[in-house]
Amino acid sequence: MLSMDHVSVTFNAGTPNEVRALQDISLSVAEGEFITVIGSNGAGKSTLFNVISGAVHPDRGHIHLDGQDITFWPEFRRSHDIGRVFQDPRLGTCPGLTIRENLSLAAIHGRSAGFRRDVKKSEEAWFVEQLQQEQLGLERRLDADVALLSGGQRQAITLAMATLTEPKLLLLDEHTAALDPNAAEQVVALTQQLAASQSLSVVMITHSMQQACDLGDRVIMMNRGQIVFEIAGAERQDLRPADLIDRFHSLDSAAELSDRQLLG
Amino acid sequence: MTATTAAADREHDRDLGATRAFLVRAVVLTVVVAAFMSLGNVNIGAIGQGLGYALAGVTVFLTFRVLGFVDLTVDGAFPIGGAVCAVLITQGQSPEVAIVVAFIAGALTGMATALIDIIFKIEGLLASIIVITAAYTVTLHIMGGRSNVPLLGEETLISRHSKQFRSWLVEQFGDQMRRQSTNLLEIGLFLIIVIVVLIALYWFLRTELGLAIRATGKNPQMVRATGLNHNMMIIIGLMVANGLTGVAGSLVVQQFGFADVSLGFGLIVRGLAAVIIGEVLLRPRSVGQLLIAAVTGMLVFDISRAWIFSALDLPTTDIQFVSALVVLAALGTPKLYDRWKTYRQRHSG
Repeated sequence: MLSMDHVSVTFNAGTPNEVRALQDISLSVAEGEFITVIGSNGAGKSTLFNVISGAVHPDRGHIHLDGQDITFWPEFRRSHDIGRVFQDPRLGTCPGLTIRENLSLAAIHGRSAGFRRDVKKSEEAWFVEQLQQEQLGLERRLDADVALLSGGQRQAITLAMATLTEPKLLLLDEHTAALDPNAAEQVVALTQQLAASQSLSVVMITHSMQQACDLGDRVIMMNRGQIVFEIAGAERQDLRPADLIDRFHSLDSAAELSDRQLLG
Repeated sequence: MTATTAAADREHDRDLGATRAFLVRAVVLTVVVAAFMSLGNVNIGAIGQGLGYALAGVTVFLTFRVLGFVDLTVDGAFPIGGAVCAVLITQGQSPEVAIVVAFIAGALTGMATALIDIIFKIEGLLASIIVITAAYTVTLHIMGGRSNVPLLGEETLISRHSKQFRSWLVEQFGDQMRRQSTNLLEIGLFLIIVIVVLIALYWFLRTELGLAIRATGKNPQMVRATGLNHNMMIIIGLMVANGLTGVAGSLVVQQFGFADVSLGFGLIVRGLAAVIIGEVLLRPRSVGQLLIAAVTGMLVFDISRAWIFSALDLPTTDIQFVSALVVLAALGTPKLYDRWKTYRQRHSG
């Protein structure tokens, strides 16, 4: 469904601040697959998402979605097929607008905004059904200002908006990291449920080894702009958080070693 | 379950309460302003002038508050709208056509600012200063190289009806109304135009396009994620907003009886003052209330300025200084009040 071939991104190329954020990344995501991505800060996880969603265009390589080359499509053009939820609950929804207005915006997806009425009676049942799946009672507060909601509620609305028009791929950028444990658990459950009911492909960045082991079919670890390993299939079944942490440390010591060698 | 239903009920009650409070504030404000005017012996011409400029206040509301775009283009769009209107009227076009073309001229000025912002990635503040600078020359060219186009003896919206209206007024209310006839006619005509424009704008803001424009100012990232071109929203938003200033320019030109290249000077400050005065006095919450507040703010601005003039018996040369003072009072008073409140809280316990 989604395939990335030899994608590289370099920021500030040719200056002392040059950062090779992605180096020759190839990755393919099958339909209905759920992938978790782990890696330390600066490993390139967010750049990976920015390239897939179109916020950043790659220097080299190609990205295909269902056979179509989308490498240089602007962000808004591919957002119909690619939904995205950010870590910051404030980024996904629009404060000052009501829940209904936010969902109405999400419903415009894939066509252009015209002179139809902004909130339509005919869409109400659709919104209520979508929010009911989440079982947070938000469907009864359609006319509440989003600014009045908690972080967990706003993240739930963002999820509802991102999946409202059934995209092909959902990108989750540590979308539970800013929430309290209770809300995080709820949002994770919601995510699984939505992914399963729409057989969505999901790529999820997480810093929680537990989440990386519990969720999805495949784990990818990134380091210094590269995918350093993937775990899938039988090996993935028995994976424990401790194993992942061990792998993390082995990466660190390898890096340290090379630094020492370099300086020595 | 009951908790969320109760929350929904509370939200509903709060909305109703806010609407009622808004209406009460509007009525109280009208009474206070009327008393203020009669006590200070302020000419009702100030109301007509406030209504003429009111749409420029709505422009500033749209750009600063709705789009979150620091846009000074009004200073350029206003004289361009005025010049277009004056030239068309002197060429024998009807005032209505002149007003519509003035809207288009203002909209194009807004589009210039939006395009400079988007193509060259120059901030709105700077982009609009560039446009204002260029607009000066454009205005002069529209007026055929002259800095002033008089409308003496031409058929304007006001002069067309003034004779008829005056005789009707004198017939109905006696000869003492003769002196106020032009002022009353202006107030009536401009009020109708402003109300029609506000209704159209309210409708526009409640369309999908309007919703996307409102969201662009609050969270452009989300608008992109929704599959909408947020740059397009900025272009459309600035065009509609500055088109309104073009209309304001055309109204004021017909009111003054001439177009002048320096007509827009300091208008942005006046528009900002209108928006803030309206917000402080009426505390609007919904889109419709915010629009009404911007117009009310402009009226209060013009009336307070006229009051200061008549109270202190100042010459017209001091007009810009008094404007600056009124703006300063409008911007500064809420902040001083907040500081005074925290000061009192700190020292009361």
